[in-house]
Formats: sequence, structure tokens, C-alpha cells
Amino acid sequence: MNRTFSKLALWAFLALLVALFLGYFITRVLPDYLPAGRAVPPRLGDLVFYACAAATVAGAAGVAFSRNIVWSCIGLLIALLGTAALYVFLSADFLAVAQLLVYIGGVLVLILFAVMLTNRIGEVNVSNQSLGLGGGLAVFAAVAPLLMLVAVLVPWPVRPPGPMAPTTARIGDEFLSTWLLPFEVASVVLLATLVGAVVMARKELKAD
Amino acid sequence: MDPKNLQVLVDVNLKSVAWFYPELWLIFGSMGVFILDLVWRKNRGRVRLLAGATLIVLACSGAALAMQPADAVSLFNGMIATDSFANFWKWLFLAAAALTVVISSGSQEFAPERIGEFFALLLAITLGMFLMASATNLLMIYMAIELVSMVSYVLVGYRRADRKAHEAALKYVIYGGVASGVMLFGMSYLYGLLGTANVTEFAVKLAALSQGFAGAAPGAAAATKLALVLATVFVSAGIGYKVAAVPWHMWCPDVYEGAPTPFTAFLSVGPKAAGFALAIRFFFGAFAGKMGATGLADSVAGIPWPAVVGVISAVTMTLGNLVAVVQTNLKRLLAYSSIAHAGYMLMGLAAVSATGMQSVMIYSAIYLVMNLGAFLVVILVAQSTGSESIFEYRGLARRHPVAAVAFAIFLFSLTGLPPFAGFMGKMYLFYALFERIGIPGGGWYATLALIGALNTAVSLYYYARIIRAMFLDPPYEKAAPVEASPGGQLLLGAFSAFILVFGVWWNPIVNWSARSLQIFRG
Amino acid sequence: MHLTLTHFLVVGALLFALGLVTVVTRRNAVGILMGVELILNGTNVNLAAFNHYVVGGVSGQVFALFVIVLAAAEAAVGLAIVLTIFQSFRSIDVRLADTMRE
Repeated sequence: MNRTFSKLALWAFLALLVALFLGYFITRVLPDYLPAGRAVPPRLGDLVFYACAAATVAGAAGVAFSRNIVWSCIGLLIALLGTAALYVFLSADFLAVAQLLVYIGGVLVLILFAVMLTNRIGEVNVSNQSLGLGGGLAVFAAVAPLLMLVAVLVPWPVRPPGPMAPTTARIGDEFLSTWLLPFEVASVVLLATLVGAVVMARKELKAD
Repeated sequence: MDPKNLQVLVDVNLKSVAWFYPELWLIFGSMGVFILDLVWRKNRGRVRLLAGATLIVLACSGAALAMQPADAVSLFNGMIATDSFANFWKWLFLAAAALTVVISSGSQEFAPERIGEFFALLLAITLGMFLMASATNLLMIYMAIELVSMVSYVLVGYRRADRKAHEAALKYVIYGGVASGVMLFGMSYLYGLLGTANVTEFAVKLAALSQGFAGAAPGAAAATKLALVLATVFVSAGIGYKVAAVPWHMWCPDVYEGAPTPFTAFLSVGPKAAGFALAIRFFFGAFAGKMGATGLADSVAGIPWPAVVGVISAVTMTLGNLVAVVQTNLKRLLAYSSIAHAGYMLMGLAAVSATGMQSVMIYSAIYLVMNLGAFLVVILVAQSTGSESIFEYRGLARRHPVAAVAFAIFLFSLTGLPPFAGFMGKMYLFYALFERIGIPGGGWYATLALIGALNTAVSLYYYARIIRAMFLDPPYEKAAPVEASPGGQLLLGAFSAFILVFGVWWNPIVNWSARSLQIFRG
Repeated sequence: MHLTLTHFLVVGALLFALGLVTVVTRRNAVGILMGVELILNGTNVNLAAFNHYVVGGVSGQVFALFVIVLAAAEAAVGLAIVLTIFQSFRSIDVRLADTMRE
């Protein structure tokens, strides 16, 4: 019980750190590089965004740094939920719902199943070398600043975003017109994968 | 959306179907084989029947391909393009799939009750490779790669109750998932930087982006270049993983060893060739636009990409060859040899010229035959002796002369010795390099050619080790007799004949590839 | 300051980087698959953000939807393989016990 609490505290602390970092980064570092960097009082919507983003990143950090796979799973759940919330800010309502249904309803449940089924025999290890925590931090230190630099410094050809509007009808139209071929190929992929997964996992079938 | 616009888009889709019959045959054929697998469940000769049905599907697809109008057109609203370049690769993929079907129907590695699904999934992979060779949209590229990969994961772990096979499948799924995820992340940056997912528009948008550098702040220009470089590197991780180039080769030896050998043979020639087709269309076709004298070099962020590809090529072939020297399991040896051959083919890509692309196409076609042949011998020997160790090949010349001679021909051809077809293929790769030495700043091509030549010498060493074991070493006392079915011998003969004939009479293949250089560029 | 494209890109970049960290530090197959899911989520955030702020229309959202579909399929195959390995571990153990008894 005690360990659980100390773990939770550690997590809360990590989440706080990430939130502080994000807040600092976005309020102090960003404005220097952005043309319209005047101090604007944050709106409620923005605050909700920061909360969601912090939850997402904290969840992802949990996946990356937790030693217990069940905690990783919960971290993934938080990250996926946070991402779904972010989609709403991008006026991608259908995407947010698909994320909830497919990712959290499907993929995460699958992963939880696998964790529950395989946890008892310890870990199913891949027989390759893995970097330790230090190596992981090194990778993070190498990749994250580079990508942040790109995100902040590149003069993205931004144009004024349209008003928030439901996109479902539009996406339906596009699926059956512009993106018809990927739509159909996706069904082939799903068929082939489902058959493949069944072939892999089923018990031996006798010919007779 | 405006109904009128919608109607236009739908009309384009309907018209595109006329160029899509080969793929449609594969889709419906794959489903048909699934059903036939159930229909013939209790049939004694089901392996032959199913193999025949699969071959008929492939033949129908080939017939549809042959009858196709030969224009270069964009299909399905820019999702894929059909052109003579794509058709060349499609023929290769059909050949690889058909030969794999023939080889695996005679192999004992597949239980008869599971072979129907194997054939159907093989047709699905072939469809994925078709799409890889013709995709002109980021999403289609990703989907095609995933279709090939995900079915491959399953087929690698196809042997029941075999830990090695399952471990190989697991490793493949993990490396593949990471590689395609990283590629996708790069694609998202390309989508944002260029404002489109359509690869044929990239050249124009890149030019516009580069012109925008002039007016922008210096930091902004540098950051944009950095973003482009990162995106390109990430995307090439996905492609490099498909062709098994260093540093994305780690999955290759284990997967090749663990997979059923007929499928290993297929993996080494089919998806690898598809990766090269994709790389050529993506980097050479799209990024280079209407290709200037230096092709890629100017277009993406001022990085000397040909030199980067050249370095990857040199490292890939050197590592593949050096590690192959110490292998004693033939499947692993051929895995490292296939890494080395990916390095040779990257030489042609590094040349970024029409000749370079042509040489990659020629080499892929020849490599298909010689590598499938080599794997066929491995299958035959393993079926009689139950092992893929090099020690089983001692005295093969006395135990089964046909297999030994055929294997020697394939190995000499893989080395690139005259008068075998492999020599001709390698000659074209080097020729593409020599052609570029003269251009300003092209001196490093000579170094690359030298490294390639040295590597050929190293590869001779380990191929010759097998040949020495077959012809000079006496067989073990208790060595099992090697038996090959008449069909297997016939196939060996056909492969050898191909290698010998095209080793001296290479005009047809060269002319065909020269005709197939037309790439749809939008 | 109000939300801009950069905010979302930073979140996407962090998700990607943490996904990579997960992939390189974990030895557990299920854990690595989770890292892949994080990478794909980072990509999807990027795609949706670019779609909203740069490209317009819904092409980026459609792209992201396909990514979700394929990620689900990939997870299904990956976990099927993990379960098969788990089964073969167990069955190997059982067989081992049998031979020992004889």
C-alpha cells in the first residue's frame, strides 16, 4: 500500500514537473520567437488545453518510465484520453470519437488483455539488448529538443483556421470520393490481418 | 461538399478501375483462395489444387497487366499512378509470388491444412507490393507498406510450435512497428511543410519552400531545413527497413532464419524489390521533380543526399559481407548476403541518374532468380538432412550433382562472376557509378566503386567456402542422401538456364528496363 | 497567449520522443508495442494540427483516421504473436515435465 502511495506521489510530481515545463516553455520561451508575442491573458479554453496537454504528456512519460507494465497501461490510457481531448481543440470531433472507440475501446483493451494473460509468467522479453534508463534519457535529450526546435522555429505557413464545425459529413464524403482507394485497401488490410491473427493464435486444426 | 465536385471525384474513381484490373484479380483471388481452402478441406490433393488456383489467379493478374493501356496516368484522385516503371516491378512481384507458390507447394515446411491461408495471404502481400510500386500519396505509401509488413509478420511465425519462428515474428513486428511509426511521423512533417499528401506535387512545393528561404529570418530558414532533413531521414527509416539497409537491418538475420524457408526466399526478393521501387518513385521521381543535372542534390535542404545514400550503401554492403563470412547456417548466411546485395543496389540509387535507376531494376530482376534458386537448394538439402548447416553440404557434388552444380551457378552469379547473369547486373551498377565520376564533385563515386569491388572480393570468399565444401570435401560417413523431386530439379534447371542465358545475352532485360523508366511525375 | 499550431506540435513531438524512449528502454514486447502506439499518437496530433492550421479541409483528419485503423490492426497482430509465444512457452514447459517423468 505504501509503495503504491509513494508511486502515485512520484507520478503526481512528474506530472507537475511536465506541466511546469510546458507552461514555462509556452509562456516564456515561445513568445520571443512568435510574431504576435504580446502578453494576452489566458482564456478558459486555453487553460483546459494546457491541462489536457499536461495529462497527455504525463501519461506518455508514465508509459516510458514506469517499471510496472500495469502502470504503463494506465499511463497509456491517460495519454490516449488526453490526445482525444486535444483533437476537439482542432475541430476534429469525429477523430476524437474514433480515438475513444478504437484506441481506448479496442487497442487498449487488447493490450490490457495481453498484460493480464502474460503477466503471471513474468515478462515476455524480446531477446535484444535494450538501453537502460540512462540510454532512454539520452534518446529523449537527443530527440525532444530537436523536434521542439522545429515546432517553434519553423515559419509554418499558417492560415486562419476555419470555425469549429462538425466534420463527420465531410469526412464521409471524402472517404467515398478522394480517399476511396485507401478506404478499400484498408478493408483488405483488415481482412488479411484478422485472418493472420486467427491463424497465429488458434489451436492446431486437424485436416479431418 | 458540393455535390458537383463530388460527382467529378467519383467519376475519376470509376474511370480509374480500367487500370486496376491486375490488383482487383489479386484482391478477389485472395478471397477466392480463402474460400477454396474451406471447400477443399478434406481433399487429398488440396495442396496441388490450391497451388494451382493461386497460380491461375497470378496468371490472370498478369494477363490483365499485359492488356493494360500503357499510358502513365494518375489513378483514384492521385492515390496511385500507373506507368511503365510500375509495370516492370509488378511483373517482378508476380514472378516472385508464382515461384514462391511453386516452391512452397513442394516444401514440407507447411502443414497441408495450413497452406491455403498461406497462399491467400501471399496474394495479399503481392497486392501490397503492387501498391508500393505505384503509390503516389503519403497515405497510400504507408498503407502499402503496412499491408506487406503485417501479413509478413504472420507468415514469418507460420510454423507451429516453433519457438524460433515465433521469436522471429515478434522481433519483426516490433522492428516493423517502430520503423513504420517513425516513417509516419516524418510524413506528418512533410504534410505540414508542403501542405499536401500528394507526392507528385512535392517537387513544386519544395521549390516554392526553398524560394521562401530568401526572405525569411536566418533562424527560420535553418529550422525549415532541419525539419525537412528530419522528415526525410524518418521516411527513409521506413524504406530502409523494407530493403534491410544498415542501420535498419537488425531484424533481417533472425527473421530470415525463423521464417519458413520458402517465405524467407520470398522476403529476400519481393518486399526488398518493392522497397527499392518505392524509394525510386519517392526520392527520384517526386523529390527530384523534372530532375536537373544533379537530381536530388539541390532539392532537399542542401544536403548532399546522393553522398548520404552512398555512405549507407558502403556501410550496408561491408557489414553484410563481413558478418556473412563467419556464418555457418546457410539461411543466416544468405540473410547477411541479402543485406550486402541491398548495399550493392543502393549504389545504383546513389548515382541518382537514369542509368542508376535502370541498373537497380536490372539487378532486382536477376537477384530475384539467383536468390530464389539459392534458397531452393537450401530447401531441398534441408528436407533431406533436416538442417541448414554448411556441414550438410560437404560432398554434395557426389550426393546430388544436379543440386550442387545449380547451387554453384547461383553462388557464382551472386558473387558477380562472368559469364553468369549476376555479373551483368553488377556491371550495370558499377557503370552507373563510373558515369557519375566525371561530374563536378563526383570524385567520391570512385571511392564507392572501389568499396563495392572490394566487397565483391570478400563475398567470393564465403560463397567459395560453400562451393569448396560441396565439391572438394568428402561427405560424412552417415550423411543422409539428398533427394529432390523431379519438379524441384526442373525448377533448378530452369533457374540455372536463366542465369546462364542472361549472363551472355542480356539485351532483352536491358531493353525492357530501359523502356520502363517512364515515371509519372504529375 | 492563445493556442497556435506550435502548441500542438510540441505535444506531438513530446509524445513521439517518449514513445521512442519506451521503445529503446523496454524489453517487454507489450511495453514496446505501447511505445509504438505513443509514436502513432504523436503523429496523429501533428496531422490533425497541420490539417486545422495549415492545410484546411479534412485530409489530415482522414489520414489520422486511417492511421488509427492500421494501428489497431497492427496491435491485433502484435498481440496475437505475443500470445502465441506465451502459449509455446507454457507448452514447452509442459513437454519438458513429461520427458523428465519418463
